Amino acid sequence: MFNKKIVLFTSVFVICLIVTSFIKNKTRMIEKKIYNLNVKILSNKKKINQAQLDFHYITSPAEIEKRLSTLGLDTYQPIKHSKIFFNISDLNKLQKKISNIDNLNEKKN
Amino acid sequence: MKKKIKKNKSLNQKSFFFEDYLETNKKNKKFRSSNNFQDRIYILFFFFLSLILIFSIKITHISINKKIVYNSGKEKIKFSLTRRDIVDRNGVIISRNINTFHAAVDPKQIKDKKKFLIKLRLNFPNYSINEIEKKLKRNKYFRIKKRIDQKEKNKLWSLGEKAIKFEPFQARMYTHGNLFSHIVGQVDYDNFGVSGIEKYFDRELKNKKQLYKPLKLTLDSNIQFIINKELSSAVKTFDATGGGALLIDANNGDIVSLVSLPNFNINQRVNIKDKKYINKITKGVYELGSIFKTFTTALALEHKLVNTNTIIENIPREIQCSNGKKITDMKEHPKDLSVEDILVRSSNVGTVILAKKVGEEKYKKFIEKTKLTKNPEIELEEVGVPHQLKWNKCKLETISFGHGITTTPLQATSLYASMINGGKLITPSLVLDRKNSSTDKIISKKTSYQLRDILRKVVSSKSGTASLANINGYYVGGKTGTAESYGNKKSRINTFISIFPANKPNYVLFVMLENPKINKNLIYSYRGTKTKAPYNTSGWNSVYVAGKIIEKIGPILAINTEEFNNYYVVEKSN
Repeated sequence: MFNKKIVLFTSVFVICLIVTSFIKNKTRMIEKKIYNLNVKILSNKKKINQAQLDFHYITSPAEIEKRLSTLGLDTYQPIKHSKIFFNISDLNKLQKKISNIDNLNEKKN
Repeated sequence: MKKKIKKNKSLNQKSFFFEDYLETNKKNKKFRSSNNFQDRIYILFFFFLSLILIFSIKITHISINKKIVYNSGKEKIKFSLTRRDIVDRNGVIISRNINTFHAAVDPKQIKDKKKFLIKLRLNFPNYSINEIEKKLKRNKYFRIKKRIDQKEKNKLWSLGEKAIKFEPFQARMYTHGNLFSHIVGQVDYDNFGVSGIEKYFDRELKNKKQLYKPLKLTLDSNIQFIINKELSSAVKTFDATGGGALLIDANNGDIVSLVSLPNFNINQRVNIKDKKYINKITKGVYELGSIFKTFTTALALEHKLVNTNTIIENIPREIQCSNGKKITDMKEHPKDLSVEDILVRSSNVGTVILAKKVGEEKYKKFIEKTKLTKNPEIELEEVGVPHQLKWNKCKLETISFGHGITTTPLQATSLYASMINGGKLITPSLVLDRKNSSTDKIISKKTSYQLRDILRKVVSSKSGTASLANINGYYVGGKTGTAESYGNKKSRINTFISIFPANKPNYVLFVMLENPKINKNLIYSYRGTKTKAPYNTSGWNSVYVAGKIIEKIGPILAINTEEFNNYYVVEKSN
């Protein structure tokens, strides 16, 4: 009833049209997604940059000291730095000195 | 046309020949039409295939080069950096670009200029309205304010004026304000470095290929803060006009901290012309005084003219120079002093005797080799030029104890580092991970070790001049220097170069105070007693400051060393 050629022609046309539009739409969707994601990435990068900058500013020694002074943490005593020793022999020497002084004091008493 | 066709049809029916011809014609037509049809299908197929191909290529292209394709455009301009970060040795940000705006006005888009000015005056009383009014009259596009913050932008935006434009712009932000002002420098509005590291590394900082790789400096923010704080408080305590401090890694020349006071906030663009704001460590050129006695002693030991225990007998109270000038000692010392004692007690006359033993030629060679009187080598534009050295009469004698010769604190400190690290000549640097291929030696290991011992005694022995820096646990060694400023006898420089730990020095710390005065209210803990400062010498101010600094930075520096970790960091067994 139908001309075979016309059917073939139409079907090829329709299939190709559907496939092309499908691919084209998919491409466009991917494009949009990529674009949006890139914008998000860039904006997040900007936020991270800003946050890092804020972090390094807030945690800078000068700022920490300012905040500590406003908090008034009097209960915390800083460790005496001179009690940290650079090598073990130095520590042993001091310990010996202390024990000698203690012994002398005991003898005196 | 229709009539003609009808006529043709009637004619065709009458002729046999014509009919036959017609049949063959029809066959041909059919054949041709079938061929045409096939061609059309092919063309259609080819057309769609090429479309599919184009889109496939596009997808492949996107998937392969997505960054190149989609990162370009407005968004990239808005967000991406135009200058690399500068970070310290621990990755702490020192400077970074941020997005900000310049506020501008297009007068052609203003409907009512009077209303516009009133709005501005009401909302921004700080703006110079008269100037804006003048510019409005010229009817040309102009900027109201450069580098506005987000709040100011929102406020301007809320005025609802079409004529106000916001030009996106990247500004440089310095997280530590004053702390690195003399090192990092500044950039101008066009993103060009104008001073410090920003200028020296301008091209590298703008290198697009490395935009997300920060420039790592050798500086340590925490150490810098501590030294800056201690030095600032010392400048106040001793009513000094300024100060400087430098901490160098003795083994590779890395500058861990560089402080020069007074400093300034680099986030604000102000034209500074006052000389007191110069970088005193790299640009300041000074006669550094007794610090040079260490070099004289080192030369005498190196050339085996003496050893540390050699006694120099009958040292006079004063000695006459070849040009008639008299060189005396500030304090009275025993007549017979060992070489070690000469340096420990800082005897001028004793040092002159040692210098004479060394001789002018050897001293000249030493100064040439160490480049003490040449421009300092450092990654900064702001460097001082030491005065040219003329070897006239009495020069050797005065140079031996640090007078008549000028240099920058940077050069003196790095030479000290070279002297005590085993004799390897180092070049100071502000950039981490550089290649230091220098293998030059200025003195032998033996002399270097001997010097360490003597410098330790300057701090630890009773006759030494730097007892206030004897901080428990850090084996501090060093040499004091008190001198008048070159060409200005009223100005005074008190310095102290310390090494720690003296048994295997890792760091060299230089501390300098400009025109310090005696603080009558300050009570020192001096060799177990409480006392006030008897003299205005470096032993009573610069040494005191150095001691305070070492006490605070010592643990931080020690924690970073393997030595400390091996001894003190232990794993919990249960």
